[in-house]
Amino acid sequence: MLLQQIINGLTLGATYALIALGYTMVYGIIQLINFAHGDIYMIGAFIGVAAVALFHQNFFLTLATAMLACMVLGVTIERVAYRPLRRAPRLNLLITTIGVSIFLETFMTVLKGPQPTGFPPVLKNVTLRVGTLEFSSIQLVILLVSVALMVGLQFIVKYTKIGKAMRAASEDYDTASLMGININRVISFTFAIGSALAAAGGVLVGIYFNSVSPYMGVTAGLKAFVAAVLGGIGNIPGAMLGGLLLGLAEVFGVAAGFSTYKDAIAFTLLIIILLVRPTGLLGRPIQRKV
Amino acid sequence: MKKHKVALVLLSVLLMIALVAGCGGKTGTSGGGENKGGASGDTIKIGFMGALTGNEASYGIETLKGMKMAAGDLNKEGGVLGKKIEIVESDHGSKQTEAAAVVQKMISKDRVVAIVGDPTTGKTKLAAPICQQNKVVLLSAGAVGPGVVELGDYIFRDTLLDAVAAPAVTDYLVNKLGWKKVAIVTSANNDYSVGLTKIFEEALAKHNAQIVDRESIQDGDQDFSAQVTRIKQARPDGIIFTGYYTEGGLFMKEVRKQGLDLKMAGGDGLLSPVLWKLGGDAVEGSMVYTGFAADPANAAPQTREFIEKYQAANENKLPDMFSAQGYDAVMLLARAMKEANSTDPSKFKDALAKTRDYPGVSGTLTFLPNREPVKSPVYLLEVKNQQFSIKAALPTEAPKA
Repeated sequence: MLLQQIINGLTLGATYALIALGYTMVYGIIQLINFAHGDIYMIGAFIGVAAVALFHQNFFLTLATAMLACMVLGVTIERVAYRPLRRAPRLNLLITTIGVSIFLETFMTVLKGPQPTGFPPVLKNVTLRVGTLEFSSIQLVILLVSVALMVGLQFIVKYTKIGKAMRAASEDYDTASLMGININRVISFTFAIGSALAAAGGVLVGIYFNSVSPYMGVTAGLKAFVAAVLGGIGNIPGAMLGGLLLGLAEVFGVAAGFSTYKDAIAFTLLIIILLVRPTGLLGRPIQRKV
Repeated sequence: MKKHKVALVLLSVLLMIALVAGCGGKTGTSGGGENKGGASGDTIKIGFMGALTGNEASYGIETLKGMKMAAGDLNKEGGVLGKKIEIVESDHGSKQTEAAAVVQKMISKDRVVAIVGDPTTGKTKLAAPICQQNKVVLLSAGAVGPGVVELGDYIFRDTLLDAVAAPAVTDYLVNKLGWKKVAIVTSANNDYSVGLTKIFEEALAKHNAQIVDRESIQDGDQDFSAQVTRIKQARPDGIIFTGYYTEGGLFMKEVRKQGLDLKMAGGDGLLSPVLWKLGGDAVEGSMVYTGFAADPANAAPQTREFIEKYQAANENKLPDMFSAQGYDAVMLLARAMKEANSTDPSKFKDALAKTRDYPGVSGTLTFLPNREPVKSPVYLLEVKNQQFSIKAALPTEAPKA
């Protein structure tokens, strides 16, 4: 049973991690918390539903469709709503992200109604047994796909030219642009990757819980944000670690009988960790420049 | 900098305008004075309070249909005390803010002697003090929550209460289906669910059934994997789920995903097609109880007649709980007026409170001394091939106060 709960926790945590990555990457480069990020995850889930219901695509095509569509959406939002405000006070930009978030939620509510809809069957659920351990094949798929995506992201950041540019930009934004890095392109790319990962999370969660609704991004987005801060905002491995920890903490809170406090567990954990390590688990200590 | 200031000023002005516009709704005339009954002349006016538009419209529209059918039937037989019954319609558009204004208007302008409504508990509680103060009978054909009839001796309701229904259902689950060990799932942020769990827990204790696991979820949750894994360890015979249909469907999905062959039973919070839209095959065999189910084959004669009449007028659609209870509400009021030989609410309310074993179309009804209704039977429905079908009609007992 302990093992089974660990699998439950890791599955939930992997979905949090996928969303948390987008928060962390965008913050790492332009020091902005993009509150509309949770809603991109929601839109990704809806596109997944449409891909299966209208075009009868298989699982991998559905995943790819949602990721591509949300890439375009993420880049567009950045172009239209955030870029004009890049030199404006930071607070204006933050409020704009909240505005975009409300717009996306309301737009989907008008389009689909507030009731949750089911996810059309796309993956067969088989109960796998290993000894006394039982888990569903969907859980396995979620874990594998999440790990693959995270490994892919690490590869991009570490070994490609654009990845190098991203790291340079997050190190020092102004100097990077002086060195001939096209900052606009780097930011667009960051939004594209972050949104694609969130969309993948949306499709996986939609299949796993069989429920997609216009407001699904609110709680998930908030928790993923907590996961990102937990691991150290701006730090990519930190976001993964934070997501997995949060999923495990939540599931074990319920397993220990504290199911009433399920949502509070995330924030309690956050407060405890920030008291001990103000920059998060893997965050670098803030250096004072004298 | 100047630009910003101008923008700020503009924004504040806009906000002010929005606020003023938002508050510019209709305000009700503050009713006062005594209502001597709108039975002057040759009609008796009964008001309908409910929503014909907005997200609660489906309840209101059906209630009103039932009321109009009852008024038609009464008027065909010459009305009540030689006067015709007239239904005064209103619509608060599912808005909390409009509800009080609508009640005020019906009392002071239309001079109704009684109001049937609201289908929801919350708005019934809003209307009750107004009706009590103006000495007008309020009979809700939908409120099931606590603290309604306590608001005064003019306030009634004709619904099957969970406190009456759940014990009868528990008896059936424990003694007919052999649920000796039960897992009970509550939605912690849902008042209805928390209240219903208490009722079920008491009933289970009375029938010596064991609660082997208590799980709590929240409305809006999607991940139930940890709770279901715990239920798996407890090995119950069945799951009692007291929340709403969205979480109910998803919860059962998870139960099947983890390879458990358990059935779920719950209250009418689960009564919606959304249950199988989200739950699919996982909710096959799930049980839901309700105060009224249109079952022409096994219905009492008065119920069968009502179902046929309703179908004739509504393109063969079957009536639901709200239309049946709306019909009964008007009939109960008419019967009380005849008994009291008066259309004065202060007189016929006492006759209404004395109603015993009234054979209504939505079941047999008795008012307890505290004006709470006891109705029989309670219908237990089962999901079969993505449809609710009637599994059993269970007799209820009056709760011991």
